Amino acid sequence: MNNAIKIFIFVLLTIAFYSYVGQMVPQKITYPPQSTELSADLTPAQLAAAGEEIASGKGTCLTCHTIGSPPEGLRFPDLGGIGSRAASQKAGMSDVEYLAESMYDPNAFVVEGFLAGMPSIGGPPINLTDNEILAVLAYLQSLGGEPTVTLDTVLPWQRDESEQPVSAPATAATAPGAGLDGPGVFAAYACSTCHAINDDTRMVGPSLYDVGSRLTTAEIYEAIMDPDATVAEGYPGAAMKAMLDGTGFYQKVSTEELKALVDHLASQTGN
Amino acid sequence: MPNNTTFSPHRLIKLQRKMTRKGGMTLYRALPFAAVMLLLAVVGAYFALPAEAVPLQNLQDANPDYRQLPFISSRVAMWVVAQLHLMFAAFVLAVPMFALIIEVIGYKTGEKRYDHLAYEFTKLLSVSFSFTAALGAMLTFLLIILYPALTQYMVKIFSWTFLPYVGLFFLEAIFLYSYYYGWGKFNPKTHIALGVMLNVVGTAIMFIADAWLTFMNTPNGIDAAGELVSLSGAINNFIWMPINIHRIIANVAFGGSIAAAYGAYKYLGAKTQEEREHYDWMGYIGNFIAISAFLPLPFAGYWLGKEIYAYSQSLGITLMGGTFSWLFIIQAVLIGNLFLAANYYLWVSMERIEGAHRYRKFIKYLLGAIATSFLVWATPHSLVASIEEARAMGGSHHPILGVLGVMSAKNTAVNVLILSTYISFLLYRRGNKEAVVPWAKTGKNIQLGIFVAVVLFVIFLGVYGYFVEATVRIGLSVPQVLSVLLAMIVITIIDVFLFKGAKTTGEIKWGEIGNRAQYALFFIAITFAWTMGLMGYVRAGMRQHWHVYGVIEDTSVDAFTPTLGYAANVVSVTVFIFFCFIAVVFWLAGLSGKKPWQPKQKAADSGEEAQS
Repeated sequence: MNNAIKIFIFVLLTIAFYSYVGQMVPQKITYPPQSTELSADLTPAQLAAAGEEIASGKGTCLTCHTIGSPPEGLRFPDLGGIGSRAASQKAGMSDVEYLAESMYDPNAFVVEGFLAGMPSIGGPPINLTDNEILAVLAYLQSLGGEPTVTLDTVLPWQRDESEQPVSAPATAATAPGAGLDGPGVFAAYACSTCHAINDDTRMVGPSLYDVGSRLTTAEIYEAIMDPDATVAEGYPGAAMKAMLDGTGFYQKVSTEELKALVDHLASQTGN
Repeated sequence: MPNNTTFSPHRLIKLQRKMTRKGGMTLYRALPFAAVMLLLAVVGAYFALPAEAVPLQNLQDANPDYRQLPFISSRVAMWVVAQLHLMFAAFVLAVPMFALIIEVIGYKTGEKRYDHLAYEFTKLLSVSFSFTAALGAMLTFLLIILYPALTQYMVKIFSWTFLPYVGLFFLEAIFLYSYYYGWGKFNPKTHIALGVMLNVVGTAIMFIADAWLTFMNTPNGIDAAGELVSLSGAINNFIWMPINIHRIIANVAFGGSIAAAYGAYKYLGAKTQEEREHYDWMGYIGNFIAISAFLPLPFAGYWLGKEIYAYSQSLGITLMGGTFSWLFIIQAVLIGNLFLAANYYLWVSMERIEGAHRYRKFIKYLLGAIATSFLVWATPHSLVASIEEARAMGGSHHPILGVLGVMSAKNTAVNVLILSTYISFLLYRRGNKEAVVPWAKTGKNIQLGIFVAVVLFVIFLGVYGYFVEATVRIGLSVPQVLSVLLAMIVITIIDVFLFKGAKTTGEIKWGEIGNRAQYALFFIAITFAWTMGLMGYVRAGMRQHWHVYGVIEDTSVDAFTPTLGYAANVVSVTVFIFFCFIAVVFWLAGLSGKKPWQPKQKAADSGEEAQS
């Protein structure tokens, strides 16, 4: 065989091998964080629940911190039980003040054994609003303690309204091909033809009314984009892919719509 | 009264947030000289157009923050073009470095073969330079068209760097072509001086472009609104110098591997023994350059990583422990393959050295050390497992292998890999030599002692890292690295004196090497290119939904960070296109050795004349 052809095939095979290696690791899409709407009448417990979502999402707190059962050799303090010990961390500061300072001005006090380096979560790149910080604060209080803060709580670090971070509008509103929310996508592509979502009725496909408690977001994403990768026991394979192909789902759905659909399904926990 | 035609960064940030697209794209890829004048005209017109009378709304409609291409996403288009530009730029900057060194060796030793080799490397430059410029022009136009707001912001920050950049680019062209076309036509010292200037100018160009690129990751010298406060601060941001150093070394490694692939390509097509000897030697030298530069590269990488953490712990953790942690498993596979292939080439090369069979028995131990280190390095900390598997393991960490997936183990593994490869080099070097100095045995024992001591020290620190706090553990990589570097330097110095005036046990039979060695050289070049593509991706990708980290947010449809599989496919397509271009470069470089074309009729006539 001609050397040039041999070399060409060798280059192709080597490149293909590395592409294959790239497919073998976990596949995850990371979306930009979205702002959380917080209504003024939230109770401390409800605020804490919203704070948990913000801490694991837009706040990116869990990128560095663990919550309970920390692995060995932490780079940042574990937050498990922080609600019960916050009041005694820094002399002269209440738990709310200590936690608020830790978020607005994190390097003012660094826990012994750790290095400074946490950014203020009210500024870029995290850009939490004062209300979102209050929600995270309520969540931290709830870790081993009782949340007490509400959106009416005033903190000395809070900024004027005009200085609040400008949150990016949801790109779904402006992106080409976007516009449908999760239920809208579910209806537009006739998902309810095969899946029940309001109860556990068995149809052509499994009921999705509790899919959020059975599958992770990544697994739901995979179940949509590659339905035959894991077929639920007792259900036919290939049918969903063919159905979605037929509706033109894979060609038409935008990234934002897909995310909205995944979020919608993830919120179906059977309650 | 506010001037509607003035774009402050603050307003740009706001405008940006109304629009769409990820730009992770790096302004780093340079402004090529071929398009400079046109580019300046376009940029000038862009800023000149908005007149007082134009309402802001109209301006925004005419100049959206993002634009889309048909058929392909803006991000992928930018990604591929930027990476291709970077690969060619790396090659064009690297080749003059080692060509000059080889030329100087030839000048000092008087051996013409070095001069010929340096010229052969340089032949690859002119076409590559044109490709680099064309790709750079394409990149610049794409930036202006697809990411106008980001481009405006970067222009506002770095406008004072553009003119020196353009000037340097003209100088680069002058020095490069005078170095190439002036080969053998100047006094050797004058020609070497041209080579030095070519390298100085090329490096300066890279430093300027690196300032744009690194500013996007670790912005500095600006106030809270993104306004420029200090240009020197913006240039000398946290990772500017680490990237400069990392790139100089990586460019040489990459350039050496491509030059070695050229030698392999020519070797496989060689018609005569003389050609085979020459191109076998060329492939060896190219690979030697590539691997020599590759060995210290992880150390430069440590520095770069350290500065990223110093700038922002969360940026560092996103890079190494968060979204991109699995990318470094792919990188481990690539680097492990590089080490394996580099060692394999050396071991196969020893077959053409008379007397080198004495060292064959060590190969199996080196292979064992390299393979084990490779496996440790590629061990993930947490495993992708089904629920049943996770329950059986007691979590996502494997009870035994899980402990190998942390940096203590990985740092140890990479240091052992480097040392093992160094030993392969050492064995190759002494393949046909026998030390005759009276202290030969003592010298070898000292070398062995240093080697064993350093390996034990590196392993000790690796194990020790499991028992100390993170703040201490992070610092342990420094003595590991320094001890390995020191060992390599000391052992090399001893080796030089040890084999001074050594007895030769046989010849190196250049040209007598299996074709599989040439394919190992191709494999190394492809793996280097793929690694560059992957690391280029993570360097831009770690900003996630920011064009300029913490300053200009990405609000485009591509603001999400794609899966690693998707990124791997884009890298593969890019590398494939790059090698298609490189095939053209090789072909064009080969034309210079062809005989002049003659018309068929003339050839026939001359044949008849010969018969008569």
